[in-house]
Amino acid sequence: MKLKRKKPVNLERKHEALTAYLMVFPSILIILAMALWPVISSFWNSLFDLRLNHPAKNKITLEYRINLERFVDTQYYINSIFRQIRASEELNSDPAKVDEIYNGLVELRENLKIQPGIIDKYIKVEEILNNMKPVTDEDIRYAVVSKDFAEHYLAKVESARNGFQALSKANDDAADQGAELMEELRTSLLEPNYIGFDNYARYAGELGVQENGEIGRLGKSLINTIIITVVSVFFELVLGIIIALIINRPYVGRGLTRAAVLVPWAVPTVVSARMWAFLYDGQTGIFAHWLVKLGIIKDGGVLLSTKAGAFFSVIFADVWKTTPYMALLLLAGLQGISDDLYEAASIDGANRIKQFFHITLPLLKPTIVVSLLFRTLDAFRIFDLIFVLTGGGPGNSTESISMYAYTTMFSQMEFGRGATLSIVVFLCVALISFIYIKFLGADVMGGRLEQRR
Amino acid sequence: MKKNPGFGFYTFLVVFLLFILFPFYYIFLTSIRTPLEIFSTFNLYTLSPTIQNYIRAFTVRPFGRYLYNSFVVSGVTTFISIVFASFTAYAVARLKFKGKSLLLAVVLGVSMFPQIAIISPIYIFLRDMGLRNTHIGLVIPYITFSLPLAIWYLSTFFKEIPFSLEEAAKIDGASPFQAFYKVIAPLAAPGVFTTAILVFIGAWNEYLFAFTLNTDDRMRTVTVGITMFNAQYSIPWGDIAAAAVIVTVPLIVMVLLFQKRIVSGLTSGAVKG
Repeated sequence: MKLKRKKPVNLERKHEALTAYLMVFPSILIILAMALWPVISSFWNSLFDLRLNHPAKNKITLEYRINLERFVDTQYYINSIFRQIRASEELNSDPAKVDEIYNGLVELRENLKIQPGIIDKYIKVEEILNNMKPVTDEDIRYAVVSKDFAEHYLAKVESARNGFQALSKANDDAADQGAELMEELRTSLLEPNYIGFDNYARYAGELGVQENGEIGRLGKSLINTIIITVVSVFFELVLGIIIALIINRPYVGRGLTRAAVLVPWAVPTVVSARMWAFLYDGQTGIFAHWLVKLGIIKDGGVLLSTKAGAFFSVIFADVWKTTPYMALLLLAGLQGISDDLYEAASIDGANRIKQFFHITLPLLKPTIVVSLLFRTLDAFRIFDLIFVLTGGGPGNSTESISMYAYTTMFSQMEFGRGATLSIVVFLCVALISFIYIKFLGADVMGGRLEQRR
Repeated sequence: MKKNPGFGFYTFLVVFLLFILFPFYYIFLTSIRTPLEIFSTFNLYTLSPTIQNYIRAFTVRPFGRYLYNSFVVSGVTTFISIVFASFTAYAVARLKFKGKSLLLAVVLGVSMFPQIAIISPIYIFLRDMGLRNTHIGLVIPYITFSLPLAIWYLSTFFKEIPFSLEEAAKIDGASPFQAFYKVIAPLAAPGVFTTAILVFIGAWNEYLFAFTLNTDDRMRTVTVGITMFNAQYSIPWGDIAAAAVIVTVPLIVMVLLFQKRIVSGLTSGAVKG
């Protein structure tokens, strides 16, 4: 820190800061709205039993709601049940009891109607149902009720059910059907789908060994993701350093090399996944064909149809696409190291290996840490390549954690659970970044921010 | 350390380049082969080239439409990101204000967000707004990753512009904003251009959001479109290869034309800090 001469507060300074805030503001707004808000929202959704294909659970709600369509519809059946009961001598042996149940249900209906905000919707729903039409407007079909009323409702329905059961003399007589109708009434009331950390508890259970002796699906997908990340990033780094060291010199064809190196990086992952799917194919794939000829695999089919083969395929395709890019970054880092250092070292008698460990590696460390961090995070989020190349298969054997989250959300429409898994991915990514910055290069990352100031 | 490159060096280089480029060559070869030949030979040449696969790529599937969609979505994304990011990056590189480190930390952090963590709320939001199967519905999520990227690259480029020029402009009576668009903007054009290329490629290559949000065949992008070439009994590799070539060629042309810029952009983002 340098001591600065104290300056008088100056208008121009203030003006400058104001301009800066004005220039920064729109981006901040976009980032807050489109990146931070969704993460918070994902977390919030993960606390609910949210299923997009389930009519009662397709919205997050902290309130009790009543399905008026179902409720009103049930009223017609209730009336017809009571007509049947009263017509039957056997069931109507104690008319006072029957009246008691009937009055209880009428009271419940009238109580519902006087709840705030119900009556208008109730009348509309009745009207629509009288015209034999379904209620299509969600706003009319569902109405919020208080917790007190919900408890009253459930108690009333339960006592009516008990009353019906006491009346019932035989299976499937009118009173028995009445008891069944009470189940309809009970499920007309929707409980809040807030479930706290239940989703997290569920997935914590999937981390370890299950009853069938296998590791749970989350545990497996985490292991798969870690294996793919560690192995591919390791090879990309080592090969990247070797390639960068070799091509760090003037030679004919530099431009060509650079362009060639950029091509795999520039091609969409999905396209390279499809290309490799063809090259690995057991029937038509030349890569599989060569491996068979070399005697490395028995037949071409094993690359994509066995677990080991599929892992190899995914990692190899990833290394092919990313190593050149890694080499490019490291090459730029190498070019920043002055030749004088090597000359001085060789005058002092240090051999190549010593030079590498004492000059190259320490000076290259910032570049290595930064490229490693970016690559690790990228590899950990792996989705496109696996999704298109193996589809997570065979079985679920190459499923990554992002893929697990994705299929939970968009194949099973379990958005609450999927959000939980996506938060797990988010936390893992945050943890990886933290570990890198903490142990490998706080100075490096700090420096990156510092330089921009 | 740096002798003149010899025979060994060039052997290595050739092997390295073959490793990188062979898959592209073979895919190109496949794209001009007949289906019969694809299934019957592993030769590295063909004596009967055909353009049937290319014709089919455009007729079996609306591949032209996919290209158009990708072009519109990536173009608009790039434009919007560059506009907002250049203001922000200028402020970061040139102006003094409190909270700059926090801003940069947030930008860097957001650029590392896993997309899977933000997809479900964005899906629900766009569905409720009726923006699924629209171009703008893809641009919105694309901005989330391209804007931080653009801010990051641009602030590096803006730092490299000599400060004295701006000072001179200010002494001549220009406001910070005038200094920005009269002096800095023209000097920054190459950096802006490079950033635009990088953002464009990033948006062009995106798959997860495109696949999830735009399920109507007319609104699919190329990355999703290329996974749609499937037949009932055998995979139409010829069509896929032709589609892959069509998607790859513009990228190769771009890389050949702008390789120096792209490399300087990528490395200044990661190496210089």
